[in-house]
Amino acid sequence: MGVMRYVAKRLGLYLAVLFIGLTITFLLPRLMPINPVDGYIGQIQSRANGSISAEAIAELRVNLEQLYGLEGDLFTQYLAYLKRVVLNFDFGPSFTYYPQPVSAMILNALPWTLGLLLMSTFIAWVMGNMVGLVAGYFHRKKAASVLEFVGILLYPIPYYILAVTVLLLLAYVFPIFPLSATFPVGQMTPEKFGMIIYNSLLPGITLVLAGFGWNILSMKALAVATTEEPYVTYARLKGASNWMRMTRYVFRNALLPQVTALALSLGMVFNGALLTEMIFSYPGIGLVMRTAATGGDYNVLYGAITLSIIAVATAGLVIDLIYPLLDPRIRHR
Amino acid sequence: MIRLNNVVASYRTGRGSINAVDGVTIEIPDGCILGVAGESGCGKSTLMKVLYGDILSPMTLASGSIEYGFVDRRGAPVTSHTVQQEWFRRVSYVPQSSMNSLNPVIRISQQFIDFPGNDPDKRRVLEQVRAYIGKLGLPAEALDAYPHQLSGGMRQRMMIAMATFFQPELILADEPTTALDVVVQKEILMLLMELQEEMGNTIVLVSHDMGVHYQVTHRMLIMYAAKAVEYGDSDSVFEAPLHPYTRMLISSLPTIGDDRARDGIPGRPPSLWGELRGCRFADRCPFATDRCRVEEPVLVEHRPGHFAACHYAGAEMPSGGVQWQ
Repeated sequence: MGVMRYVAKRLGLYLAVLFIGLTITFLLPRLMPINPVDGYIGQIQSRANGSISAEAIAELRVNLEQLYGLEGDLFTQYLAYLKRVVLNFDFGPSFTYYPQPVSAMILNALPWTLGLLLMSTFIAWVMGNMVGLVAGYFHRKKAASVLEFVGILLYPIPYYILAVTVLLLLAYVFPIFPLSATFPVGQMTPEKFGMIIYNSLLPGITLVLAGFGWNILSMKALAVATTEEPYVTYARLKGASNWMRMTRYVFRNALLPQVTALALSLGMVFNGALLTEMIFSYPGIGLVMRTAATGGDYNVLYGAITLSIIAVATAGLVIDLIYPLLDPRIRHR
Repeated sequence: MIRLNNVVASYRTGRGSINAVDGVTIEIPDGCILGVAGESGCGKSTLMKVLYGDILSPMTLASGSIEYGFVDRRGAPVTSHTVQQEWFRRVSYVPQSSMNSLNPVIRISQQFIDFPGNDPDKRRVLEQVRAYIGKLGLPAEALDAYPHQLSGGMRQRMMIAMATFFQPELILADEPTTALDVVVQKEILMLLMELQEEMGNTIVLVSHDMGVHYQVTHRMLIMYAAKAVEYGDSDSVFEAPLHPYTRMLISSLPTIGDDRARDGIPGRPPSLWGELRGCRFADRCPFATDRCRVEEPVLVEHRPGHFAACHYAGAEMPSGGVQWQ
């Protein structure tokens, strides 16, 4: 029946979410009482000691409004904005790095962030689930509580403390990794690639550790609850082995909420990127966003926020599309 | 024949140990349907667990033994310590709620073959299962379904298919029909009876419903406060019960044309924590004497094959049920 209908429905919902998100991103800054064009002109005026003529200012205003997409009334601006963003992924030029286009800056930084964050989030998820499953399935055994203890220990540590501790430990006390990493740019060679991997390991380890604890605790709680389900008891009474019960019965059922959690945390990678990239001076979206925020670079912020919206919405779409494969109750409704 | 020798099953708790089944000795003949009845907490379910060999902490088999009357692959008689090896193939179990006893995310065919064993065997088994479930009134496609795609009755049929496929010597059914409406309930019970007649295996059926017991069982075991109080052929137990508790259970059954309100049995069973002296039913028994309160009655054979644990089991009692004033 409706596999196509299901997919079409989810895609439609996805596009609707994106549209609403873009609209809100468009409206919110326009509700602010300050006008970036006035601010910018003021800056230039004061730098030039008020020596700029009224005509020059008017010309400047026209140019700036064009760059910011502030020409015409609100509706005209909105249509122009949608046209630029949706059709060309064009957010105008950056102001800090004028005239570099925002989209180019973002696209340059994107692979770095995605590579590091997606990989480490996924590794933390897989490892956390495996450890959590064993800790939960054997929760009556003393040895299993050691595994849970790892989660309890790691989970409450704030990320910045964890990151700085790991940095000190593995780059300063035991200098296994470089204290300040360099990330080569330009044409990719196997050598450069190896260097990138090596330098990314340290931030990667901190991210895995940070995500690991939560995944252990969450999976452990789900697995404990699932072991009490009558179908697990019945499987035991049929003589099904521990391995069979743990994987096919407990894991397959406890997995479902964890998949949701994974997709949601993948959608949030750009938020996690900020702190990591600052601490490890890693050239990703987070660093771009931070520079833009401190420099008042509206167009770059627009671009980054839009990207976040796309990421979260896409994560939601991916859950919706994957879930029926894992849960037959949704597939055959 | 399955022989229970003075089976004592106890639970270890923080307050100490408690005997949920306290010295049950009975012999279950081969090929019969044994009904087990009694109120909540009388030890029915614990007895089932012991019979199945599902003895997990905090429960222990404090003393006694069970002989199943058949031998394992190595030729040794099966006992409570080795019966676990025979699960699903020779001793099987029909759970109470088919609703939650099937894994919701796995096809039923996969759940049919997750007993221990190797894969080529299982593929062959699955082919036979496909033919077998047709006999139970299930379409072959039901095997490829997920649990939520089947109705409650179909699911329970599937559970019975699982429990009977290997033609086990012993099937334990713990209230197999409580979650179903009466029409489906009847169908399921008829199915169980038919299969039992065909295969000649032993079924132990736990139910609160004396009506179900009357219709289905060949023999009856009545339990009260961890003890077996009456055991015998169902006809004999229902026609002429020996123990006052059994009489009261039976007189609580409605009969056609009798529209008097049914009496319950006042009072509650004794706490198993306290020191138990004499007959455990004495406090609620209208015929109790001083002897009952001091001397514990043992399960003795009053008629051929009909046992009761009551000092006055043979004595005359008012007919037409027990009158309460």
